[in-house]
Amino acid sequence: MGDLNETKKARGVGNLDSPKMPFDYFQREYGTVPRDTQRAPFQWVSEVAYKNVHRIVSRGYDTTELMEEGYGIVDVLFVDYQARIPLVEEEQMLNYVLIMALEDGLSAPAAMSRIVARTKTFLTQAAAASILAFGHAFGAYSAFGNRLEKYVKRAEKQGLSTAQAAELLVKENLNDEALGVSNLMLKDPAAKRMFARAEKLGVAGKYIAFTKEIVTAAQKQSPAPVDLDMLGAIGATMMDLGFSAEATWAILAVTRALSVGAHYIEETERNGYTRLGEALTPKEDYDGPPDRPVPPLKDRATFAQSGICRTPAEWVRVRDERKKLIGSGHGIVEEIHDPSKKSGITKVGKL
Amino acid sequence: MSREPFFRRKTAISYKTEEKTVMRGYDLSELAEEGYSFCDALFVLYQGRIPPEAEEKMLKYEMGVFLEHSMSPSAVAAIGVSAGRPNLPCAIAAAVSTFGGVHGPGAAHGYMLNKYLERAQREGKTVDEMAKILVDEYMDAETPVMGMGQPQHIDSDPRAEPIHVKQEELKLEGVYLEFQRAVEKYFHARRKQEGRSKVGVNVVGSGNTALMEIGFSPNAGWCLGSVCRGYSCAAHALFNMKKGRAWGASRNEPMVQMIDLSMIKYVGPEDRVVPKQAERQEYARKQKEEGEYKKWAI
Repeated sequence: MGDLNETKKARGVGNLDSPKMPFDYFQREYGTVPRDTQRAPFQWVSEVAYKNVHRIVSRGYDTTELMEEGYGIVDVLFVDYQARIPLVEEEQMLNYVLIMALEDGLSAPAAMSRIVARTKTFLTQAAAASILAFGHAFGAYSAFGNRLEKYVKRAEKQGLSTAQAAELLVKENLNDEALGVSNLMLKDPAAKRMFARAEKLGVAGKYIAFTKEIVTAAQKQSPAPVDLDMLGAIGATMMDLGFSAEATWAILAVTRALSVGAHYIEETERNGYTRLGEALTPKEDYDGPPDRPVPPLKDRATFAQSGICRTPAEWVRVRDERKKLIGSGHGIVEEIHDPSKKSGITKVGKL
Repeated sequence: MSREPFFRRKTAISYKTEEKTVMRGYDLSELAEEGYSFCDALFVLYQGRIPPEAEEKMLKYEMGVFLEHSMSPSAVAAIGVSAGRPNLPCAIAAAVSTFGGVHGPGAAHGYMLNKYLERAQREGKTVDEMAKILVDEYMDAETPVMGMGQPQHIDSDPRAEPIHVKQEELKLEGVYLEFQRAVEKYFHARRKQEGRSKVGVNVVGSGNTALMEIGFSPNAGWCLGSVCRGYSCAAHALFNMKKGRAWGASRNEPMVQMIDLSMIKYVGPEDRVVPKQAERQEYARKQKEEGEYKKWAI
């Protein structure tokens, strides 16, 4: 490829020969990278499952044999996520949790599924879209569970009682969406029933106990009535069943997706499809800049506004201005980080 | 906190008040308290009824055996997406999205059975006669018969026949199983007649037959299967997020990684010079006239 590089160097390619470049672009090789024979060849590595021509094996158990022996879908969740056969009571408890998580009316996942259904897609696309609706406020099992873990560890480290750790957790997170305690279930006994069932089945453990302390602390600290909500009930129960915060998040999101298929079907049956351009947005719903004439292109220099800020002070002022334009994104500050780090597990051994 | 609905819709599936969540008329909490299973609840959701025990067992078996399938397009999608370390639901959504016309085409299989069963009724043919027509029409048109063959389990899908047998053991044989068995019979016979190897029924062929038999629509069955796979794909994504390397390209791992540069094999056009804008029109015209680009166009 030397010749090609020579040709290109002679012709020049944009700024690639700029002295500001930290390298000589025309010395860079073409062609793909040869196979690495020094290391083991790539394979799909898994602790979870393998299959061959004849079998599918999850955590050591042939999945067909599991079914033939009378186990079912709920048991396989324990096998896949925890590499163990659950106690009968644990299986019963997870069944209970999954039923409670299956349907939630026209909440975000169902709405997602229905909106996607209106565009005439496969059902699977609508179901998948619903899973994307499980964020850190709705279905915040990861945020909830990892917070429990964090304060349990903090209590151990600082020698705090469970009640003290709960007081601290509530003090620092009272209004957070993932607290697991809110005013959402003041009239619905379902969340408290779940804890009662876990206790009756003998599967309640430290997470349910801690969450109950959190409820007590929140009821003391909150100016308004609050109680255990479904996030707290399901999250703590799942963790007492041995599921990690992330596993809980995944399992509950998928469970809800099993029901949004019905919403996809109903939306299609009742309302049909929406074409491009069909849906209108009424002007009364609009509160952006008022209608204004488009300036002639030849007058661009007169009307155009620069976006460049030359000094930090100018940047601060302009940014505050920009925040006023709803939908610009300047009003949102978030941290995009590696979610796997939230679990506190960075890397467990090399593969 | 606003408790207004996202949007208003007439719905026959469920409602939710401050007091309870009711699905097809049943208070969800009461369903759970009474000891019904998750699979029972799925019957209520999609069919508005409490199933007989045998039907519940069939669904439990089908979903249980379908849940984990190691490295299939769905798990690979989940692992691939997780390499960028987005939020976990993105990996699961990608996995579920892989279920289309080839990977686990449950609805397609269901619609195929329904179409030909309706035709049998209309044309006064037996289920057996119509199965032969289906196989002949599909194979004459060189169209894959839905529910047959699996690229990895070439010696019979380990889940497929056991599902058929379980359906029979539970005495749930109905028109769908009769039709599916007949489709398999004529499919095998035709391949044998053509001197081709035996291709067994796959998990869609048997599992979806069972789901349809116990009253699920093609799309409901598809949802149960494809979304249930999301459970295991999430486990695969989690394993990689917690115990693997992000990106999947590190040169410090003892094993060559999924998207290590050396994994790329390029078979496209030769490396070439980018034309200057001044040369562009002439270059582009010549390229178009020569037409060599057409062999690369996709």
